[in-house]
Parts: sequence; C-alpha cells; structure tokens
Amino acid sequence: MINDTVVALSRWQFASTALYHFLFVPLTLGLTVFIASLETVYVVTGKSIYREMTQFWSKLLLINFALGVATGLTMEFEFGTNWSFYSGFVGDIFGAPLAIEGLMAFFMESTMIGLMIFGWDKLSRGQHLIVTYLVALGSNLSALWILVANGFMQDPQGAIFNPVTLRMELQSFSALIFSHDAQAKFVHTSIAGYVTAAIFVAGVSAYYMLKKRHLEIAKRSFRMATIFGVLSTIGVITLGDALGFIGAHAQPAKIAAMEAMWVTEPTPAPFNLAAWPNQAKQENTWALQIPYLLTPLLTHTMDTKIPGIAEIEADNVVRIKNGIPAVEALKLLSANPTDPAAMTQFKAHEQDLGYGFLVERYAQDQDVSKATDADIAKAAKDTIPDVFTIYWVFRIMVAFAFLMLAFFVFGVIYSLRNDIEKHPVYLRFAMWMIPVPFLACEMGWITAELGRQPWTVYNLLPTWMSASSHSVSYMVFSLIGFVSLYSIFIIIEMYLMVRAIKQGPDVHHGANTGGHTKDKSLGGSVLGGSYAPVHAKALMDEQSAKEV
Amino acid sequence: MKVIGYFLLFFVLAMILIVLAIILGDSAPWYFAWIIGTGLLILTSAAAGFMFDTQEDKAKGELQ
Ligand code: HEM
Repeated sequence: MINDTVVALSRWQFASTALYHFLFVPLTLGLTVFIASLETVYVVTGKSIYREMTQFWSKLLLINFALGVATGLTMEFEFGTNWSFYSGFVGDIFGAPLAIEGLMAFFMESTMIGLMIFGWDKLSRGQHLIVTYLVALGSNLSALWILVANGFMQDPQGAIFNPVTLRMELQSFSALIFSHDAQAKFVHTSIAGYVTAAIFVAGVSAYYMLKKRHLEIAKRSFRMATIFGVLSTIGVITLGDALGFIGAHAQPAKIAAMEAMWVTEPTPAPFNLAAWPNQAKQENTWALQIPYLLTPLLTHTMDTKIPGIAEIEADNVVRIKNGIPAVEALKLLSANPTDPAAMTQFKAHEQDLGYGFLVERYAQDQDVSKATDADIAKAAKDTIPDVFTIYWVFRIMVAFAFLMLAFFVFGVIYSLRNDIEKHPVYLRFAMWMIPVPFLACEMGWITAELGRQPWTVYNLLPTWMSASSHSVSYMVFSLIGFVSLYSIFIIIEMYLMVRAIKQGPDVHHGANTGGHTKDKSLGGSVLGGSYAPVHAKALMDEQSAKEV
Repeated sequence: MKVIGYFLLFFVLAMILIVLAIILGDSAPWYFAWIIGTGLLILTSAAAGFMFDTQEDKAKGELQ
C-alpha cells in the first residue's frame, strides 16, 4: 500500500532540494558564457583590465560552481532512494542522459574549470580562451541532459511502454533529444541563466560604482552585462512563448491552470491578466480580462480552441474508464506474459494506461475492477493541478521578465551615454535586482513541475505510484536533514560571495584613473594562488599584444 | 525626457524582435538557434566592451 504522506514528503524533499540546487545553477550557466565574452575581449585587445575582469568574475563563478555541484549530487541519488518505482519505470530512458550529464558535469566541466582558474600562467592566451569556451559549453551541455530527461517527463517522446517488463523502453534516442519540449526547455533554461548572470554582474558592478571602487572594471562589466542581458531577456521571453505554445499541445491541463481558464471560451479566448482562482468552486472569484488575447498569444492563431479545465476533466473521466481495462490486462500479463487475449486487450487501451493507474489509488483494495464512479470522479479531479499557485507563479515569472527587460534597456541607454555613475537611484535599484532572476527561475520550475501533476511522466506514470515505500519518520528525518544542510550551503555561498565582492578584483591596472597603466601594487591573489606570476604574465601579455 | 524617449524606442524595438522571433519560430530548431545565438551573444557583448574602450579613448583624446 502506498502511503500518501510518504508521497507528499518525497515530493517536498525533491522540490526543496531541486529549488535549492537551482539557486546555484543559473548563475553558473550564464556566468561561464559571460566570462567567455570577457576573455575574448582580452585576447583580441590584449588589455590586461579584461584579464582582471575575467579573473574576478571567475572567482565568483568558482564559489558558485562548487556549491552548485554539491547540491546537485544528492538529487541524482534521490531518484533511486525516494522514487524507486519511477527510476525503474524510466531507467531505460534516463540512464543514458543522466550518465552523460554526470560525465559532462564532473569530468569535462570540472576539469575545464580547474584549468581555467589555475591555468593562467600555464597556458597560452589562445589555449586559455579555448578552455574558457569549453567551460561555457560544458556547463550548458551538462544542463542539457537533465533537461532532456525533464523534457521526457513533460512530453514523453521516443519510448514505448513494455507491458511485460513494466518499464518504458527507448525506441529513438534522437526523438528523445530532439523533442520540441526538450529543445525549448533547454534553451529557455540556459538563457534564463544568461539573464541571471547579466543581472548579477550589473548589480555587483553597480555596487562598486556606488562605492566609487574599481570603476574601470565596474563600468566595463556593466556595459557588457547590460548588452548581454538585454539580448538574453529577449531570448528568454521568446523561448518562454515557445514553451507555452508547445505546452498548449502537449499538456492542456497545465496551460489551462497557467491561464486560470475554467471553461472553454469561444475563440479568440480572453486573457486573464489578473485573477483569483478558486479551485473548490472551479471559477475565478474575480478576473481582469483582456478580450481576444489568449488564443493568439498561446496558439499563434485566432481560432484554435483552448480547452478549459471543466472540459479537460470531463475528457479525463472517459480516459480513466478506458484505462481501466489496460490495467486489468497488465495484471493478467504479469501472471502470464504470453496471454494473447490480455495482450489484445492491453493494446486496445494502451493509450490510456496512465489514467487507469490514476484511479487505482482510490479503488477498493487498489483493484481497478472495483472502481466506482465516485472513485473515477476523484481521479479525474486529480488531473487538474493546483490552479491558484500555478497561475500566480507563472505570472510572477513573466512579470519579472518584463521588469528585467526594462531594467536592461535603461542600463544600455545610461551605459552608452557613459553617464551611468550619475544615476545613483538606478544603481541602487540594480543591486536590488540581483534576486529577481533567481526568483524567476524558481517560479519557472514550480510552474513546470507543479503544472505536470498528478504525473511524474505525463499521461503515463502518476506521482502517487512513483515513490519508494519509506516510513514517514525516515522521510521527515531526511527532509529536515536536507533542508538544514542546504540552508547551510546557501549561507556559505552568501558569505563567500559577499566577502569576495567586498574584497573586489585584484588591481594591476591603475583603477579609477581611466587608463590601462600598470599598477605595481599587488592587490591580493586570485583564489589564494601566487599573484606574482599572474601579475607578471599580465604585463608580458599586454606587452606582446602591443608588439603584435 | 530624452532618456524616456530612448527607453520607449529601444523597448518597442525589443518587443518587435520578440514578436518576429515568435512568428518565425513556433517549433523551431531551438538547439541550433541556441548555438548560433550564444555565439552572437558572446561577440555582441565583446563588441560592447570594445566600444566602451573606444568611447573612453575618444573622451580622453578630447580632454587632452
Ligand atoms: C514572458 C516571459 C516568460 C514566459 C512566457 C515563460 C514561460 C515558461 C513556461 C511556459 C515554463 C514551463 C515549461 C514547462 O512546463 O515545462 C517556464 C519554465 C521556466 N522558466 Fe520561464 N518564462 C518566461 C520568463 C522567464 C524568466 C525571465 C526566467 C528566468 C530568468 C525563466 C525561467 C524559467 C525556468 C528556470 C523554468 C523551468 C525550466 C523549464 O521548464 O524550462 N522564465 N517558463
């Protein structure tokens, strides 16, 4: 028997560890690419200030990367410990992407990060630049694989269910990787990381400008970050739209929840700009609507129907009834895998198997043949996720996107006019913007994952079946353990980051003077490494660039 | 006032870019777009750095 409390605690545990982990991930995804851009300028111009900028932002990247890996490790194990049925069910599909992710993250990315941080005086400029590009590529590619796996959970492509082994089996690796959902999800998430890095760099640079410290580095970083940020934000919004468009076809219940659409409206449907969804009554207590907007926004047409929640729930009643014979056939096949009648019955109802599983939870003795209409109605209600939360977290993500776009547009204008320092209010605001992309990312994940409920693998495997059969006390204990440990990680990250930011970059270039003259004072080390060779190499590099 | 004017201009430009990208890319080959886009992003922000230095050098030249 599955214990609902254990399932709920397993969900809380995964959600909290994933959300903690994702406080670190986006900055790594974006900062690696931003640093590649900084180092490109250094290699092309030979100006040592860009090397110092590269080294400074790399130092912050390293702090973030180390803690990100530490928090990510546990999640891979959590699949096995807390979601054992799920792991068996999708192991065939998840095995390859997760293994590649592990290899990418821990071998390619970590090795290259090591070379990037400690290889300044060991590699030539060109070699170091290649390493930096590989760090950017490696960090994003390691995210690719986990997002491909998540894409499969949202819209299972490239695999079929084997009724004899009770597992999904991979049919087409390319269909898995190139599914529309996986593609758009990866690019949306990766670019969300770019936006995060841009805001972070702009915010920290604003801090220096307000404090009138490291002005040369801050102004350059700010200029590059705002351009990087404005383009990334345009990208993240475009891909957000693509995800909605794909979701409208793949996951209508999630989309209806994101838009708080309780009933199917005549096309073109109105857009609920703001609303107060009431799940119990299946209506919005109030709503501020813009007529005709939702259909073109979501479907890019004026006449495609967007099903409302009531219609989806009614359709799912039919699917649950159709799925019951599939589950019954599965039981017969597990007793006799060669039973031809059972196989024929299974094939006839296969497409609704997952819906049959949904009602198993409520049926007496978990025997679907005993399911009553009331059980089926309850299971159909379960197919509608938590509308209030999804509606609002989605809106917060979107609102943050436009806030950041406006922020970057102002930043670009001020920076291009070269009078950014004359706008202390904007600079202060830039510092306050730092948490915004992190929150947007968290909201994005809540939309994606809560919106997929009640499934772990959409339309196939319900969440209630996916969990392991631990005791409640085990789950409570491990949940408290993880939350405490991860909170400590966050505190360590904040402490190290704030310390490194307060310390500031190592100054070799005569900061605040506006020139690139070399300041002979040794301003501390990069990650405690020997600064003398670093310093000397910077001077030599600059000299040789001038000679070229 | 001038800043607000520029803001509106650039913001509208950004929105036009978004709408264009949306029209062009319902279920686009997003991985390919990502590779090209990231490359261009790196180069554009690098160009922003070059531009900053050029502006600074010019300002210094004018001062001297
Ligand atoms: C107009 C702006 C945006 C739209 C329309 C949008 C749309 C979406 C949608 C529909 C999802 C759910 C995908 C799914 O169900 O699988 C999502 C997820 C997500 N969003 Fe956004 N988003 C926007 C802006 C942002 C911003 C600004 C960020 C962060 C800087 C962000 C970060 C994320 C993340 C991390 C996820 C979860 C991973 C994923 O599913 O890709 N989004 N977004």
